[in-house]
Amino acid sequence: MNAESIVMEHMMNPQNYGEMRDSDAIGIGKNPQNGEKVAIYIKVREEDEPIIEDIKFQAIGCTTTIVAGSIITTEAKGVSFSRARELISLTLGMLDKQTPEDAACTEMVVLALQAAMDTYLERKKDRDFPIISYIIKTDCTPKEEER
Amino acid sequence: MHDLFREVHELFLATQFTGFMSKTVSRCNLYEFANIFFKHLTWLENDFIKRGEEYNYSVNQIPIKVDKLSMMINNIINRIESIEKKLDSCKDRDIVFRMQSDFNYIKLALKNIPDEDVSNCFDTKREYPNVKLTDEARNALTLFLFEESYKEYELIMVYNYSKANSSDAFLNRIFQILIDESFFHLRSFGEIMADMGILTVPRTIMEEVYKFNDLKQFLKDGIEEEIGAKEECKRLAEAVSSSSEYFASFFTFINNQENYHIALMEEALEHVS
Repeated sequence: MNAESIVMEHMMNPQNYGEMRDSDAIGIGKNPQNGEKVAIYIKVREEDEPIIEDIKFQAIGCTTTIVAGSIITTEAKGVSFSRARELISLTLGMLDKQTPEDAACTEMVVLALQAAMDTYLERKKDRDFPIISYIIKTDCTPKEEER
Repeated sequence: MHDLFREVHELFLATQFTGFMSKTVSRCNLYEFANIFFKHLTWLENDFIKRGEEYNYSVNQIPIKVDKLSMMINNIINRIESIEKKLDSCKDRDIVFRMQSDFNYIKLALKNIPDEDVSNCFDTKREYPNVKLTDEARNALTLFLFEESYKEYELIMVYNYSKANSSDAFLNRIFQILIDESFFHLRSFGEIMADMGILTVPRTIMEEVYKFNDLKQFLKDGIEEEIGAKEECKRLAEAVSSSSEYFASFFTFINNQENYHIALMEEALEHVS
């Protein structure tokens, strides 16, 4: 399957989309420039370190956000928190290879994942810890609009 | 009642999108049945509101990738039968009677729908019959169809929620026109998606999208979005103009329809200001 057909598959059948009513933690990634946001819900299993047993996401955003959410949550399902952090770091390191609009969507998804894991860890100390939201740093203004 | 409401919503979507698959007169029948199921949804919604009970538009993913139309027709009949078992959870006997009566007829009518091969609705070829699209036009059109089919479904549900929860006749007239307009756009885009082999049901809508607190801000944002959609249609009309006179004309037509939507929202905004 080539890259184009993988993207098409995620566009037509986004994986892990929807709400998780019995999640252990929720995290939010936001783009203040256009009001778009991503919510990631995780169900965690405790072993030597926490494992993302199940994951879902919802978004107020564009198709690129949905494709990024589908791909990233698929990658994050079943992995440990430390592996998920590597995935986040790897993805953030590759943002400059994308257009600003696509990079903003991808960053919003990985920050939501980061926020969900951070919320989970905080809630182990304090059950009432609020849902963490992170704001993206990427400026998604298309170049022609800047001029 | 919540399960009943969700399943009726899913039934409406499954039927509407099965309508896009058909290339025969069955499409019109399926559109009519989808309209009836949408009406059922509004009846149940009104019952929630009368009883002061919270509800939402969450739905599960609706798989529609099939080779034969009959597979979706059977799926729709199964969905109706599942709903029939839950009808008692609605305490308004008039609603239950009307729904059951509609189901009795529709189940029989569905069984008479001739089968069709619909596998090309999902083959992802992204080609439109008798039109040669450039790669750029094909990609722009694909993205537009995914974005806008979701957006039109979202608008139908947002305006429907606003209408259901408002007793302002002036606003409700505008909301109903916008619902009808969005249905027309959703159907236009859905038919093109089926022809291009990329048909899919839009994702579920986040609750905060339709349960907003500030109608004025919602209308202002809506006007901005319509202006954005107009620009997108203009760009698309330009991108496909060399490939297809039909598509160029279609997107110019959609673009100009957005002017009417903007005028309606401005009218609503003036009314609430």
